[in-house]
Amino acid sequence: MQRIGIDTGGTYYGSSKMFHGSLKNIMGTRFDILIIDQNRLKSQEIWNDIVFELRRLDQIFNRFDSTSETSKINCEAITDPVHVSPEMWFILRSCQIYYTRTLGLFDITLNDFSKVLLDEKAHTVIFSKKDISLDFGGYAKGYALLKIKDLIYQAGVQHCFVDFGNSSILGIGHHPHGDSWKVSIENPYDQNEILDEISLKDQALSVSGNTPSYTGHIVRPTSVESVKAHKVVSITSDDPLDAEVLSTVFMMTNDMEKKRITENFKVQNIAEYSL
Amino acid sequence: MSKRKSKQVDTSLRQFIKDLGYVSGGAALLATTPWLQSFTPDKAKEIKKEKARIGFIGTGSRGTYNIHAILSLQHAEIVALCDIYPPNLKEASGLCPNAKTYTDYRKMLESPDIDGVIISTPLYLHAPMTLDALNAGKHVYCEKAMALTMEQCKAVYDAYQETDKVLYFCVQRMFDKKYIKGMQMIHSGLIGDIVGERCYWFRNHDWRRPVPSPELERQINWRLYRDYSAGLMTELASHQLEVCCWAMQMVPESVVGTGDIVYWKDGREVYDSVSLVYHYSNGVKINYESLISNKFNGMEDQILGNKGTMNLATGIYYLEDEAGGKKSGIEQLIGQIGNKLYASVPAAGPSWRPETKEKYIAHNILEGEFHVNDGLSMIGALKDGSDEILSAFCQACITGEKGKNIVEEAYLATMLCHMGNQAMAEQKKITFPEEYKIPYMKFS
Repeated sequence: MQRIGIDTGGTYYGSSKMFHGSLKNIMGTRFDILIIDQNRLKSQEIWNDIVFELRRLDQIFNRFDSTSETSKINCEAITDPVHVSPEMWFILRSCQIYYTRTLGLFDITLNDFSKVLLDEKAHTVIFSKKDISLDFGGYAKGYALLKIKDLIYQAGVQHCFVDFGNSSILGIGHHPHGDSWKVSIENPYDQNEILDEISLKDQALSVSGNTPSYTGHIVRPTSVESVKAHKVVSITSDDPLDAEVLSTVFMMTNDMEKKRITENFKVQNIAEYSL
Repeated sequence: MSKRKSKQVDTSLRQFIKDLGYVSGGAALLATTPWLQSFTPDKAKEIKKEKARIGFIGTGSRGTYNIHAILSLQHAEIVALCDIYPPNLKEASGLCPNAKTYTDYRKMLESPDIDGVIISTPLYLHAPMTLDALNAGKHVYCEKAMALTMEQCKAVYDAYQETDKVLYFCVQRMFDKKYIKGMQMIHSGLIGDIVGERCYWFRNHDWRRPVPSPELERQINWRLYRDYSAGLMTELASHQLEVCCWAMQMVPESVVGTGDIVYWKDGREVYDSVSLVYHYSNGVKINYESLISNKFNGMEDQILGNKGTMNLATGIYYLEDEAGGKKSGIEQLIGQIGNKLYASVPAAGPSWRPETKEKYIAHNILEGEFHVNDGLSMIGALKDGSDEILSAFCQACITGEKGKNIVEEAYLATMLCHMGNQAMAEQKKITFPEEYKIPYMKFS
């Protein structure tokens, strides 16, 4: 893996044997990681790999970057089949599976994913409807955490805490002075109120919700209407991607859908807070 | 005035100086505010029991405000009043029954019983009245701005170089505690290098006063007409441009701007909306904006440094390295682990998005309670330094000691206002005219 020229920074706290890596603007948010019990050099190496991976993924998923693979698909798949990279093929297939398992509520087109036609043999994609485009906003952070989780395990890290933009958390192993990583969930309408406290041990947590300044970013695909409810949903799962997908989906489900979708997934905890 | 009140307020200038740390070891502060050197507690002792004999030229709303301030001083007495508008003169006379009244200020200036005059008249009268009063051997305190034109400003400045009389202009921010302390902090490097200055003054008011009969329109609503006033620039911006130069310790070399009558299209001749950019030789800019048909933003004199922001009008500063308001979840977690603590981390919530504006921690410039001017009054605000500068002037009338920097600051601020008006009227960049530069000014 070529990493020449990457300026990754990071802070090592020798007395705690803890490394803090931070990116202030990646995938439209910030990324922080605490790597525990590794020496300075090893920590820095792992962090460099993570930064490289995050920037690589940002480049694939960024639909505002005209050179990204997502932009290429959005631009060309309206008229012609677009041949995609093996990784993008895996991603699109995974989005298709999530689309089915969530009864069509997880939809990276925010419109009608059934009009995204995937050719198994040629590994091409074409849109069979106008005004279709891909937006990995509800997927990319989960996918990135999945990749980073692999990277961390491969590096032999046993304890680590990842905070991806507040809403996507990964707790590997446990806190140096506790038996898990404890995370509290804040009420976005009242930051003094704690809605819940969740313990993570080799688990991911994803939180979705509206905030006073940011409402309407979650859209129910079948109605093309944004979800305006004052609520927060949190999902705890071994799989960061499942957690990411479901936290968005459960913002818009009714009770019947909730029950049916839950049966399709293995999640540890689903919590919904009406505010 | 009751004795008790007199005593109370008389001590206020001394207390003010004390508060600023002048009693001992205040040398550094004195160096940054040399105009206050004459008002240390020791100097104040020298004038005890003496009274400055003050005549008022102009007894309208601002004049009355000034009369109240002087009446509360132990070291001054009002001996004469002059106004051409009988209702105002009558009202002022009610406040100072022992003062002799005049309708012609020149007659008043002939009186040997007056040490100093306080001029609170429309802008176009500032220069002729100031020059006449200095010529008559009187100490002079005049409202801001200095004069209606650049030529008049220079004439006043030149006259001041020749006279041995005291001349003050109401650049009251130079006597406002928040500003003095704030400037000390700026000059000590608290906010780093100054990289920009933003000043604005917003009101939602037509700037008019009721007129009892039409022929008095221009006399009463003088602010709206170009022969009498230079509009928002001299009435409002002059204070703020002075503050900018005070902070920068430099004078801008040029200005561009645009001015219009956007909303109050009632026959007025001065802009009700102005936007200007003043440019210093080192590239730092003053962005100035004033609008009087929307008051949402209020008034602020904001000095931007690479390490912090000083909001002088509200008396609050912010530091760049404290952006974010409270510690993030990850920072708290790092702190916990460092302290061997195990607790939950308030990390989770709906997605954090890069915000257009981060939260900062507000720090007060002054400790304890202090007064903030909302900028809405047309007459004057409480505790904005006006009382202190009037008290200082009256003391100077007794000692004959000229106030350092005051005329110079008023001159440069007023010149910048006129340059701004010229830039807006001619729609072009105006550089500081060579013939109006004075030794006091530093341009680089």
